[in-house]
Formats: sequence, structure tokens, C-alpha cells
Amino acid sequence: MFPVRRRNFILGSSAFLLFGGKNALAQSATAITPHEKELYEAAKKEGGELTWYTAQSDDITAQVLGRSFEQLYPGLKVNVLRTTAQVAYQRVTQEIKASAIQCDVLSSTDLGHSVALKANGAFEKYVPENSSKVLDVYKNYDPDGYYFVTSAGMIGIGYNTSKVKEADAPKDWTDLLDPKWNNNIALGHPGFSGYVGTWALTLRNQYGWDFFEKLAKNNPRVGRSINDTVTMLNAGESAIAGSGPVGTLMESVQKGNPLAMIYPAEGTVLIIAPSSIMKGSKHPSAARLFMEFLLSEAASRIWVEHFNETIRPEVAAPAGAKSAKDVKIIRPTVEQITKGIPEVIKQWRETFGV
Amino acid sequence: MSRLRLTGVSKRYGNFTAVDHIDLELQSGEFVSLLGPSGCGKTTTLRMIAGFVDPTLGTIEMDGQILSSPAGSVPPDRRQMSMIFQSYAIWPNMTVEQNVAFGLELRKLAKAEVRRRVGEMLEVVHMNHLADRYPAELSGGQQQRVALARAIVIRPAVLLLDEPLSNLDATLREEMRFEIRRLHDEFHVTTVYVTHDQAEAMVTSDRIAVMNHGRIEQVDHPRSLYNQPKTRFVAGFIGRTNFIEGVTEGNQISFDGFALPRAAFEHDMPPAGKAVFSVRPHSMRLSDSPPAGGSPSVGVVVVERAFLGEHWDYVVRPREGASPLRVMASPMDDIPVGASAWLEFEPRQMALIA
Amino acid sequence: MTDNSLDLRAIQFSGLASRVRRLDASMLLWLLLIAVLGFLILNPVLRLIVSSLQETDTGRFTLANYRTAYGNIRHLQSLLNSLELGVGVALLATCFGVPIAWAISRTDMPGKAFVRLMVFAAFVTPPYLGAIGWILLAGPNSGWLNKVWMAMTGATHGVFNIYSMTGLILVIAVTSFPYAFVFTSSALDLVSSEMEDAANILGARTLRTTLRITLPLVTPAIIGGIIISFLEAIALFGAPALIALPARFNVVSTQLWQFFEYPVRVEEAAAYSMPLLAITVLMFWLQRRILGRRGYTSVTGKGGERRMIALGPWRWVMLGYALIVCALSVFLPMLVLLQAAFAKAWGRGFSLDNLTLHNFYYLLVEQTQAKQTILNTFVYSGVTAFAAISLSLAIAYVVNRKLVPFGNVLAFLCVAPFVVPGIVLAIGFYAAYAPPPLALYGTATILILGFTTRFLPIAYTSSAAGLRSINPEMEEAVRILGGSRLLAIRKVLIPLLKKSLAGAWILVFIPATRELSSAIFLVGPNTRVISVMLFDLSEEGNFEVLSALGVILLVATVAIAAIGSRMIGRDFMLRRNS
Repeated sequence: MFPVRRRNFILGSSAFLLFGGKNALAQSATAITPHEKELYEAAKKEGGELTWYTAQSDDITAQVLGRSFEQLYPGLKVNVLRTTAQVAYQRVTQEIKASAIQCDVLSSTDLGHSVALKANGAFEKYVPENSSKVLDVYKNYDPDGYYFVTSAGMIGIGYNTSKVKEADAPKDWTDLLDPKWNNNIALGHPGFSGYVGTWALTLRNQYGWDFFEKLAKNNPRVGRSINDTVTMLNAGESAIAGSGPVGTLMESVQKGNPLAMIYPAEGTVLIIAPSSIMKGSKHPSAARLFMEFLLSEAASRIWVEHFNETIRPEVAAPAGAKSAKDVKIIRPTVEQITKGIPEVIKQWRETFGV
Repeated sequence: MSRLRLTGVSKRYGNFTAVDHIDLELQSGEFVSLLGPSGCGKTTTLRMIAGFVDPTLGTIEMDGQILSSPAGSVPPDRRQMSMIFQSYAIWPNMTVEQNVAFGLELRKLAKAEVRRRVGEMLEVVHMNHLADRYPAELSGGQQQRVALARAIVIRPAVLLLDEPLSNLDATLREEMRFEIRRLHDEFHVTTVYVTHDQAEAMVTSDRIAVMNHGRIEQVDHPRSLYNQPKTRFVAGFIGRTNFIEGVTEGNQISFDGFALPRAAFEHDMPPAGKAVFSVRPHSMRLSDSPPAGGSPSVGVVVVERAFLGEHWDYVVRPREGASPLRVMASPMDDIPVGASAWLEFEPRQMALIA
Repeated sequence: MTDNSLDLRAIQFSGLASRVRRLDASMLLWLLLIAVLGFLILNPVLRLIVSSLQETDTGRFTLANYRTAYGNIRHLQSLLNSLELGVGVALLATCFGVPIAWAISRTDMPGKAFVRLMVFAAFVTPPYLGAIGWILLAGPNSGWLNKVWMAMTGATHGVFNIYSMTGLILVIAVTSFPYAFVFTSSALDLVSSEMEDAANILGARTLRTTLRITLPLVTPAIIGGIIISFLEAIALFGAPALIALPARFNVVSTQLWQFFEYPVRVEEAAAYSMPLLAITVLMFWLQRRILGRRGYTSVTGKGGERRMIALGPWRWVMLGYALIVCALSVFLPMLVLLQAAFAKAWGRGFSLDNLTLHNFYYLLVEQTQAKQTILNTFVYSGVTAFAAISLSLAIAYVVNRKLVPFGNVLAFLCVAPFVVPGIVLAIGFYAAYAPPPLALYGTATILILGFTTRFLPIAYTSSAAGLRSINPEMEEAVRILGGSRLLAIRKVLIPLLKKSLAGAWILVFIPATRELSSAIFLVGPNTRVISVMLFDLSEEGNFEVLSALGVILLVATVAIAAIGSRMIGRDFMLRRNS
């Protein structure tokens, strides 16, 4: 009884946030700074279009962000292309090699990509005004101004409440190695997903690669995107999401699915996701304006509605969900990411066979 | 006991009667042709004998056993019959030897026995040296021989042939007519042969059943059919003929433009009243001087003529009449068009039709 | 006299000149066609072969790519997996397609029109969509079939596991058996019943006749079907990505995809794809060897009629079998896809409170790319079909009427792309045309060119077949009355060919709409097609929206095909009047 009511409460409040929040956005006419206005005018003259490759959320959230931008700046259109980080990276590098840049703004979940692309001169330098207004933990990843953190998310352990009782659920990462979870764990693939790559790297740092050798013995179901794990839980195909994305999972709960989130005692993995403007972008002003938007309160409100982290201090976490400051966080450094993720992908392929 | 007996066999398709009350009896070893124009029902009759089509009425018996009746039929594979099809139906993916061996293999004969009998049969049809060839590598006549070999090697109770020579050219057809008859004589197979070509029927058959519109008009030996046709259709279908109508008046029979004494027909007294006679072109003599002998003759005028090398074809008209008569004359009898001549009749060769 | 001799010389000279002119014109035409075909086919394949031997960035000759591609045990295992997959699919698709083709073409099985329709539905369904349907059906813990099993028998886990090689073979076979069906039934339609009668009367009953006479007569068609199924299976990308990856094995196509991850290693990809090319060539050579000297067509040409065999009570058995195959390929997957398309959360099952139209609304209204993607798909496929048919008809005409020398070289080139798996062709195209100077990356052009090349063999075979059935005397009649060749083509040939061409158009259009393996390498952000979007959506597991998009694809394709076939008034699946 009680959980049902609580779920309805979350549902109701989230619905209000979704719909109410959106209306508030439309009506508030968030004060546009003069700098933003300048960019807006220039963007309209460019043709009013923007192509955005993003791996930082699922398609629905990405679409909401795109439309919100369009509502704020009437006359501008956003082509939202949501893929996993590796696929986005692949497409961008293909475009660079073919000297035919289609992407204007790249939002990845793999800091390593940003480092590599910056080194290759693929980015346009631009320091958004809003970049100084984000939470401290997200500042100054690139002092040179080529990429900025625009999104953050957490990875914990998810489980299907209709299959697993709260008491039996794994409390920590090492609990995943328990043979009782054989054939019942869903994972993403670091070769596709930036989130999963960072997660695997973090756990490798924490427990050594041995952890994954043992995990492989539990015969997990390996998908591609980290969101695949939530699908597996929803379907009832797997009982545990070994790499469970907080944002997608909580959204799924909101839709009425019987899921729950564990924030492991030894640390929840925090993913820091950067965005940049592509050099050679055909819509530089629109791209800049979009970067400002991604770092704005409006964007953070949308992130939070979809159970991601907020990067602005003004925006509070949603009711019923924990945010990064509430739990113990573990994450790799930028250097570790740059070198480590390709290593992890290779090790993963050897261990898991794909 | 007759080998094959058809009693009152009919086949109707909706309102259309393809075969209308056929009665036919074949003795063992007899060669009977079903002769008639296309659409006369001969192929349908053959297929009923084979068991591919069930009769609407009547029965087909072999050696006293009922094979086909409206109540049910023995299927073709259990009738101990063989058939040669218009297209030969030689299987192109098998060699000559494999084709001929098929029926024997079905009867579960030992391999050595099969090879022996196939070899013998191929020898008989002069195809032994081509045993390993595929049908595509054979001429039309050779394929025909393979079809014969395949059909006869299993010693069928009845052999059925459906216009087997219609795909061959004239010389080959003549050659194969004799071949078929020769094989029949060698193996004494009861044979039913369907054709529209009267020359084929005449050469090969012991008896011919002339069919028209689903009915048998006359069944007889070839000579009797030719010389004593019983119906107008048979007279016209077998060989060429003239139909002349006469009226009995006292002791002569009056025709158009001439009369013949009744006494001359002593062997075949025509009844009183109207009579139709069939007079073959070669049974009359044309000469440019009045004939000396006792045969009745009449004065005629030459209307048309054509020289065919082996004979002249004359069309003449009685001087006092209008009906044209076709006459065959030897190459030496050269009478110009428009000239007068004499036509001699041989009343014994005039067949009374009706 | 002087005048006469001048006339004579003038005639001789003009004769010579016109002959020379004709020679020039025909040579020019041949060169033009060769250039087009070279651009479409030779260049990409050559670039591919050359790339495989080149070092990245420097272009120096090296065998290192082959070493990297084949030095790794996992890569070799992927190759073996592909072969296993190909053989399995070929056999299963043949088991599905041949009996049904026989039943429809030669027996009195009831419900033929319905079964044909279902075979067509299977043909229209992309393999990756079928894969998704089957995941929903046979996921080991969550699939509907397993849930039913668990409910009925009280077992703790299901009995079907779609995430396996067997599962993948099944999924691909149920969408590719229509090829086996069409090939076999077209050939069976040509077999005269007299062939069977001859065996009948010698003592063979229906089953024996079918196995020893009827089916062996259409061996070329059956082998053709086997080869096509095999080749399609080893070149597919979507279904293996969805099923093989979670099953923890790779095949060549998914392995190739990895070579395209950062850093893009076109050269290694090229080296790795060479065996696919070699295998395909080998298959066709094998086909030739097996068929050998034996003839298969009715030798006299006078085929005789085709009568249906009466099966008695066995016709219900055949119908049952056909319906089982239809269930596996159409009913079951479609059912779950429809359920998911209209569901809020597909895992919640068939209940009224789970129904919603939101997924369609999301696609058609909220999602910014879906509308454009849908439009792109049908426009590109339509243009591809037109381009392929036009080009192949022109070449078929030129070859059939012997207007140019070495016509069979042109014909060979038209059919050659068959030998190149789609995914490999796309890589070749990418290597040849994506970078400057042509810089076609991300344009609609490269996609359409790639598709046109991929489907040229089908278009050419259909055009050539249609053309062969038209007696050249038809055009000669026009020309002797004073009309030009172009007039003859326009007024006589094209109208006579209309139905055949329309059928060929549909035969290219439908596979183009569902093509993923080559599209995935050639699309850009603005030229995405439905197949790629479905694939992207499957990455985040949004099965509800994905199913809705799949339903839109199927409904639209079927509608277009239905309109098309109504216009041409005959079954484009090459059925004769039955």
C-alpha cells in the first residue's frame, strides 16, 4: 500500500514538474543576457539551424532539451541526434576525416574523447558566460576553454523489485560476484557507451581487473548502451542492473515500472560529461548560444526532471532521488580516462568475448 | 476376355461433354488408334484410360477388373500401364540410362537385373551408345526413342501414346511410325495410340477408332475404314473424297448432271429415295476419249487442274450439271482446262454413306 | 554515265561513313556505360582491395592489415561464426521455403492466397525488426513464449533462449526464406505436369515423384535460393548486433563495425572483408560445378500444362506446416511488435490500461527527426529504384539487341555487385567517395549511389528477363515503317514492358527500404533512414517507440507495394498466372 502511494506521489510531483515546469519555462521568459541576445541574432542570420550529437541522455530527454532551446529562441531549430558515446565519436571522426563537418555541438560522456579531439584541433575555443556559474565540482576541466562539463550522472546498482526483495538485493559492487546472481545481471558495453567505459575504469581502479574476470563467470547479459540495462530490468529479463544509470532508472520508476536504485556503500560512480563546439561548424553562433543554454538553469531544471544531476547550484535535486552530494562518489581522473578507457575496452573484449 | 474394355465412358465438364458414351474393346496385343481432329475427345479418353482423369459415366476395365468408374479409380501408379507424352517428358536432369531405369528401380529389381534390361532395351531402340548422354544432348528422334524405351522396358499391360510424333519433322515422323509399329510387334504390347494424323494411324494400327465431338464414329481396320466409311465425317476425314447426292428413280440413280444404272451397284443395293455416296478421287478415271469398257461414264468439262509431280489433281464438272468432282490422274494424262473429257466410275468403290 | 558512277560512289561512301559513324556511336555508348558501371562498381571494390594493402595515413604497401585482421583468434572465431550462421540460415530457409513453394505451385493446398500474402509480409519485414520481435518473444526470462511456458509448466525459467546462435539463425531464416520461396516457386511453375505424370504411370506415387523428379528438376532454383540465403546471412549487420552481442559472440559484420570505431581503420576493415568477397565468389563457382552438364529446362520447350496434384487429407498437413512457418515469421513477431507499439511499458503486457498512442505521437510530432527520416527512407528508396531500373534497362537493351561489342562485359558488371556483401560494398563506397575530392560523406547522393549499386543485380536480372520475352520484331516493325529506334523504344517497348518494369521497381524498392548493413556506414545526420534510426533506438532499449516506428515502416511499405501491384495487376513476386 504505502509504496504504491509513494510511487503515485513521485509520479504526480514529477508530472507537475514536467508539465508545470515546462510551462513555467515558456512563460518565465528567462532573462536573456545581452551576450545571449547578440548570439541569438547572429544565429538567426546563420540560417537558424543547429546539429547536436549527444550521448549524455536518452532520446526523450535530449529531445526535451532541444525543444526547450527552440522555445527559448524562436526561429532556431535543433537537430537532435542521440547515440552512444562511441558511435557519436565515430561519426565525428568520420566527418573530420572526410572534411565534411555536420556536427555543431558534441556532447559526449567520455572525457577521453574530448581530450583526444582537443589535441587534434577538432574543437572551437569558446568560454561560455555560464561556465563560471556552475557548481565548483564541474568547473575548470579544460582551462584552455575547448570543452566544458554540461552534464553529470551517477551509476549504481539497479534491481527489479518484483523479482528481488529489498533485503536480498546487492548492497555493494562486490555483491555482484555472488553466484546467486548467475544469468541475472545486465551490463552495458564500454565499447559503445561512455558511461559504461567510465564505470568499468572506476571499478578497475577500485578492485582490479580481477573483479571483471569473476563477474564474467556470473554470465551477465551484455548490451550496448547503459540504458539497455534498464530495459532488461523492465522486461524482467534480468533482475539486476550491474551498471545501473540513475537517471534512466528513476525515470522508468516514474513511468510505473517496479524498479529501485542502490547507491553502493563503497561508492557510486559519478560520470562527468563534456560538450564542445566543433571546429568548422557551419553555425558557430548558434553553437555558442547552445553551449550557454546547456550550462543554464533552464537546462539543469530539465536534467533534474529526468533524474540527472544538476550542474547549477540554483536547481535542487528532485524529491525521492539522491544527488551527488548525498552519497559517496568515486570517479577516475581525466588522465586516467584518456588512457584507461581504450585499455578497458580491450580487456573487456578479451574477458567477455565481445 | 478382352484386355481393355471401355463401356459407356463419358466425361463432362460442367455443361460441356468432352467424351460421349465411348464403347471400345481391345484384345491382348492389339494396336488401336484413336483418330480425330483436335477437340474430339481422344486425349481425354486416353487420360481416362491412364487414370489421370475419372469418367463421369461408364467403366474402364482391364482383364475383367474395373479400373475406372464414377465411384472411384485405381490411381495411375497402380495400373501397370505406360505412357508416351506429347512432350516425351524425358527428365532432363537424368541420363538416358537413368531415365529408362526409373520404372525398373521402382519395381525394386536388383541393380544388375536393371542394368541388363535397360541395356537390352536400349539396344532394341538403337540407343545403346548414348546411354550416358543427357536429354539436352539428344535429337528429337533420339528423345522419342528414350521415351519408348522407358515405357516398354517395364513390360506394361497397356501402352498409351499421346500424339508422340507431332513434334518431329516429316521424314523423322515417317521413320518413327515404323519404329513404333516394329516395337509393338516385337513386344506384343496392347497399345492405344492417339493422333490427328490419318497416315500415322493407317501405318501403325490394327484398328482405328475415328472420333468426332466426343463420340466414336466408326471402329474398323484401316482398309475397311478407307473403303467403306460409314459416316460422312469418316469418309471426309480419312483420305480425300467427293460427296455426291443421288435420288433413286426406277432403275437408275440420278445425280447432278448424270445418272448411273442401279444394276451397276449390284453388290451394294442402295435403298429407295435419296442416297449420299463417297467417291474417292482415284476411284474414277479421266480420259480425253470416250472409254471403251463397260463401266458407267459421263461427259465432263475440266474446270481446274494442278500438277503435283506424282499425279494430276483435276476438278471437273458434268457437262449437264454443276457439282464439281475431284479426280486424280496419272502425270501423263494432260487435259487442258475447259476441254471436254470423259469420267469413268467404278461403282464398287463408291461407298454409300446415308 | 558519269552521273551514275558519281551516284554509285556517293552511295558507297555514305554507306562507309554511316558504318563508321555507327561504330563510333556504339563505341561511345559502350564507353559511357562502362564508365558509369566502373564508377559504381569497379572503383569502390578496387579501392577496397587497394586499401587493404595500404598503411593508414601513408598509403605505403603493407600486409600488416591482414596480419592484424587475422592474427587475432577472436577475429578468426568471428569468421567461423559467420560461416556457421550462413550455413544454418541457408538450410533452415530452404526447409521453410521449398515445401511451401511446392505446395503452392503444384498442389491443391487450400489458403494459397493467404499464405502468399504472409510470405510477402515476411519479405517486407527487415531482419532487425524481426529480431526485436523475437527478443520480445523469446528473451530467456522475459519473452512472452517463455512466460507462457513458465505459467503452463510451473518451470522457473523459460525454455527458449533467443540470445544464441540457434536463435539468430531462426530470426534471420524467417525473414529470408521468401527468397527461397520465390526462386523455387517460379521454377516449379514452369515444370510441366507431364514430367510428373510420366513418373506416376511408371509406378511412383506423389511423394516419391516429388523427391525424385519434381524437386530435382528445379535444383538450380533451389541452389540459387540457398546461395542467396547464405550470402544475405553472412552480410547482415542489424540482427547479429541485436542478438549476437548479448549472446557474447561476434560475426564478421559486427566485427567490421568495430574496425570503424575510433580510430577509424578502413584499411583493416578492408582486409577483414576480403574473405567475405572470396566466399561469395566461391559460392557461385560451386553452383556452376554442381549443376554441370545436366539440363533442367523442359527440352522440347513445349512444356504442357501444369495441373495441381490432389493431396487428399495431406493438404491440411501442408497448410499446417505453411501456417507454422507464417506464425514464426509473421504472426508472432508482428503480434508482439504491435503490442509494444501501443504500450506504455511493453513489459506490463496485454492490458487495457497499458494501451497508448503516445509512441506514435512521439514519433510523428515530438521527435524532430522521425518525420524527416521516414520521408528520407521512401524518397531515397524510390529514387534508387528508378535509377537502378533505368540504368539496368538501358544496359539490358544494349546487350540484348547487341548494339555494342563485348556486351557480356557490361552484363557481368551489372550482376557483379551481388558478389559483394552490402556491408563491404558500403565500406568500399565510403573509402572511394566519402573523402575529397568528391566529398560525398553524409550526402543523400552517396547513399543513393550505394543503394543503386547494391540493388543493380536484381534490377538488371528483372530487366533482362523482361526484355528477353519481347520479340525484337516488334521494334523492327516500327523501324521498317520509318520510325527511329528511340521512337520504337518509346512507343512499343516501354508500354510492353510496363508491367515487368513496375514489378522490378517494387523488387528494388522494398529491400531498399529495409536495408541497414550498407546504410549504417553511409548515412549522415541529415540523411538518416528508418533502418538506422531503428538501430539507434534499439541502443537505448526504447522498444515501445522502436516498435511504433517499425509498424510505421511496415504499414507504409505494404501500402506502397499494394498500390503498385494493383497498378500493374499482377503479383510482382514473379508468380505466373496460377
